[in-house]
Amino acid sequence: MPASVAFFGIRHHGPGSARRLVEALDALAPRVVLIEGPADASDLLPLLADPDMVPPVALLTYAEDNPADASFFPFAHWSPEYQAARWAVNHGAALRFIDLPASDRLTPADDADELAASDAVTRDPIGALAAAAGYDDGESWWSDVIEANPAPGPVFAAVADAMTALRADRPLPAREAAREAHMRLEIARAVRESDSAIAVVCGAWHVPALAEKRPQAADRDLLKGRARTKVRATWAPWTAPRLARASGYGAGVVAPGWCAHLWDAGDRENRDSVWLARVARLLRDRGHFVSTASVIEAQRLGVALAALRGRPAAGFEELRDASIACLTFGERTVWNDIAAELLIGSAVGAIPAAVPLAPLLEDLQRQQKAARLKPEALERELAVDLRSDSGALRSTLLHRLAALDVPWGQLVDAGRSRGTFRENWRLCWLPEFAVRLVENLVHGATIAEAAAARLTAAMQDEADLGRLAALVRSAMLADLGAAVEIGIAALETRAALTSDCRMLLDALPPMADIVRYGEARAGAAAHLTALMPRIVVQAALALPYAARGLDAEAAAALRTSILAADGAIALAELGPEVTESWRQALHALLDDAATTRLVSGLAARLLYEAGAIAADPIADLLGRMLSPGTPFADAAGFFEGFFAGASARLIHDAALRGAVDGWLMGLDEADFVTSLPLFRRVFAGLDRSERRRLLDAVGNRGGSGGAGYRLTDAAAAHWPAHFAHLVDLLNNGARA
Amino acid sequence: MTDRLRMPAEEQFAAELAALAGDDSGRRPAGWAMSPRAVVTYLMGGRAGDGTVISAKYVGDRRLIETAVSTLATDRALLLLGLPGTAKSWVSEHLAAAIAGDSTLVIQCTAGTDENQIRYGWNYAQLLAHGPRREALVATPLLRAMEAGKLCRFEELTRMGSDVQDTLITVLSEKMLPIPELNTSVYAARGFNIIATANNRDKGVNELSSALKRRFNVVVLPLPESAAEEIAIVTKRVGEMAASLDLPAPKNVADEVARVVAIFRELRSGSTEDGKVALKVPSGGLSTAEAIAVVVGGISQATFFNNGTLDAAMLASNVIGAVIKDPVQDRAVLGEYLETVLKKRRGFEGYYAALTDRI
Repeated sequence: MPASVAFFGIRHHGPGSARRLVEALDALAPRVVLIEGPADASDLLPLLADPDMVPPVALLTYAEDNPADASFFPFAHWSPEYQAARWAVNHGAALRFIDLPASDRLTPADDADELAASDAVTRDPIGALAAAAGYDDGESWWSDVIEANPAPGPVFAAVADAMTALRADRPLPAREAAREAHMRLEIARAVRESDSAIAVVCGAWHVPALAEKRPQAADRDLLKGRARTKVRATWAPWTAPRLARASGYGAGVVAPGWCAHLWDAGDRENRDSVWLARVARLLRDRGHFVSTASVIEAQRLGVALAALRGRPAAGFEELRDASIACLTFGERTVWNDIAAELLIGSAVGAIPAAVPLAPLLEDLQRQQKAARLKPEALERELAVDLRSDSGALRSTLLHRLAALDVPWGQLVDAGRSRGTFRENWRLCWLPEFAVRLVENLVHGATIAEAAAARLTAAMQDEADLGRLAALVRSAMLADLGAAVEIGIAALETRAALTSDCRMLLDALPPMADIVRYGEARAGAAAHLTALMPRIVVQAALALPYAARGLDAEAAAALRTSILAADGAIALAELGPEVTESWRQALHALLDDAATTRLVSGLAARLLYEAGAIAADPIADLLGRMLSPGTPFADAAGFFEGFFAGASARLIHDAALRGAVDGWLMGLDEADFVTSLPLFRRVFAGLDRSERRRLLDAVGNRGGSGGAGYRLTDAAAAHWPAHFAHLVDLLNNGARA
Repeated sequence: MTDRLRMPAEEQFAAELAALAGDDSGRRPAGWAMSPRAVVTYLMGGRAGDGTVISAKYVGDRRLIETAVSTLATDRALLLLGLPGTAKSWVSEHLAAAIAGDSTLVIQCTAGTDENQIRYGWNYAQLLAHGPRREALVATPLLRAMEAGKLCRFEELTRMGSDVQDTLITVLSEKMLPIPELNTSVYAARGFNIIATANNRDKGVNELSSALKRRFNVVVLPLPESAAEEIAIVTKRVGEMAASLDLPAPKNVADEVARVVAIFRELRSGSTEDGKVALKVPSGGLSTAEAIAVVVGGISQATFFNNGTLDAAMLASNVIGAVIKDPVQDRAVLGEYLETVLKKRRGFEGYYAALTDRI
């Protein structure tokens, strides 16, 4: 008896077609199941039935000599291909992939084709039909149109009919033609070898072409002369967010969470209630009040909306609109808040220990060899000279691993390297690093790729400008050009949209570092040298408003940020215009009476140090700020702002010292005692000898250096008596 | 042309409503003048079955209107929320006109609205002469809507006191209004429902109690998403309003509308349209309705004082009036916007000069 071939045109990652597929396979009970997928990875298929294999997982194929040349085929538990493979393994049917082998390389001609072919219709023809019918969600269309077909018939026949119509007069790119030829030949081979039912599971798009009878010789001709390369294949854990189209996975679905729900809920009556209950639970978790009655109303509204839109049942859009109207009181932002968790989810797959070695580990071994670095469990120091190629290679590798959360090496002089050519690392390899590395497979197949992807993802999520700039800095250290560019673009948009002064200020130090690093590393920082001045100007404009009426904590934080930013602006050498606008902002801080005094004190000092205010005016200013008319708390704030961290200035600067001295002498006792901790804080920055020199300077005011007092002639004669008196005072203290 | 300044929607668009109702095969909920789908068509525009062109009453997301209509079809009350000037009352009036054929059962809620204006009042002469009886009762729009199975509209629901708002709880959940004085109740006829509007920006309004809030399905009407959409709305409404005020529309209205809308959108969103420059936001809402008022005001000024020539100078004082609600803060915001953005932008020289001059 000749084998009969049944074609099941599915929607990739469509839970609706997965469900119908399993039913159809149960009914047909084929002995052979052929699936659209790289033919040379068939050996890995039985692993899918391993109990330790938890979807989402991806079949990963990569060129042996170049793991960066890799392709992923993700499977969720609601993917029809996954269900077909499991069905076959569980029922002992022969199971094979039939698409072009992964070793078949893209030729340049194919590349152009690929672009042309990757339009929405070929990628997800069912989604395209749904969109044309006004649906946001292909699954709702599938259930409304394909499954609730008024003339009930075999679902897959209806799909094939639709595809035949859709394929008519669309040109077939060369690679697509080759793929279909390969699949046809594989099907023909299976027919020759078997005499029982054969099930072919492929994308709906291909069904008409595969079912067609074509001379096999013509198909073989199509496959002649295609380039081959050696590939390896393995399974990699995958994540739900990476199944989403938004993650850049072209064949992904819009809402993996909704697909998972559709699969889990199956045909059950309460499908919508389960979904709405999940929405309600998420809202409640976030502290919103959602009553059961509202959930009931949401379901009623969903049904009414479906009726209004002429659909047989409430689908994704209806339930979403109803949830917004009934559960979030119309607030779309609340919905957006839960949407990521609801629609995307955070599931992470797992792979059994038996799968072949992961490419990231191979890549690591290769790079370790190239960099002549051995993983050792004992700590050791490593000095790297970035000017040499081998030094740069080592540093780059270590920085990339750090970006992948594999801190094999730790920078000893962490933080500022100020553009030096030397890095000191402490190396220590821990066994769990291998596990962490494999987890990073989600991001890419080589260390460089994975590090870039991981940093890019982090950059896109990062809302804080300072942390974003730090990420860009790590990308630059790890020599990941593409990630740096994305990061700088993100910095540009975030910077344009933020008006928070501290955030802007905090972004400056890491940016200055990058600008400086541009010299030590072969990386272009040109964008940044254009962006940084803009951020400085923006921060300068915002600064006077940000410094008003702050409490002690906020003022101290802002002071730290201004100090760091000032250093960064000086370090980056952005040109006189930018420096000038920064100085103007500092002046504005000083002139504005509403500025918190701690901050204006700092502004005064920075301007004074930069030479933008001369010594005399600064002494006047100090005198005015510290004069008795000023409330004591303000004066003390200004004093701390000015001198904290810079008290050494008092030693050398007579005019400043005079102003401070005058203020201190004028304090009444209560104020003086209250502010003793403050003085201690300010003067603690001085070491012993500096403190002595300061005391000398203060004591000498009337002495040799200054105007006023002169030694009397009899001084030498009086001194021994005075000295004795002083010693007595110092030893015994002043007695009443 | 009638002597009335403005006609209710069901009279102004009587022809469209008749065309839609005449050729409506869809199932009508009890008490509805037409099917829900025809109501959506009436609001969003399209064609009736007999080919009559239906003008768009609401320009924006169709889903929102579908949600609103479905809500009313499920006998749940509808609350339209949004910033001032996002067409809440406009949508509510047209919904009532299309569904019940009557948009005049309105209660304007204010801080002075009391329960007698919501439930029922008494005709005291009758009350004294004959004692409590049905004839002595003065029906409110709500009571009349319940008896007639029509839609009752509450404008600015959150403006009236919370205790008065809560009067609606029984009406909404049990669809009846008890009249204890007469030991009777009024039961709502099929088709009765409530559309309320409220503003979610102003401070000092009375927040809805959660008991009342959860009896409403809420639809938030957003500000127009794209500049093109907003320009279309403003141009359309300016045309309609100028016509009803007998003002000749100058030729360059569309260009000036585009500029005014651009200024409004940038100030409202706090960044330039290209997202490159962050701006401070003035205290007012700068809604689409205000943009419409600015342009209509400009046209009126141009007609009577400038020989009908509409230019930046005619619009500038209206723009200033719309933007500067707080004389100190908003003046600084507008000044900064003029200097940092408009000064360098081509095509806005006239606005820069006129606004700088008047500010």
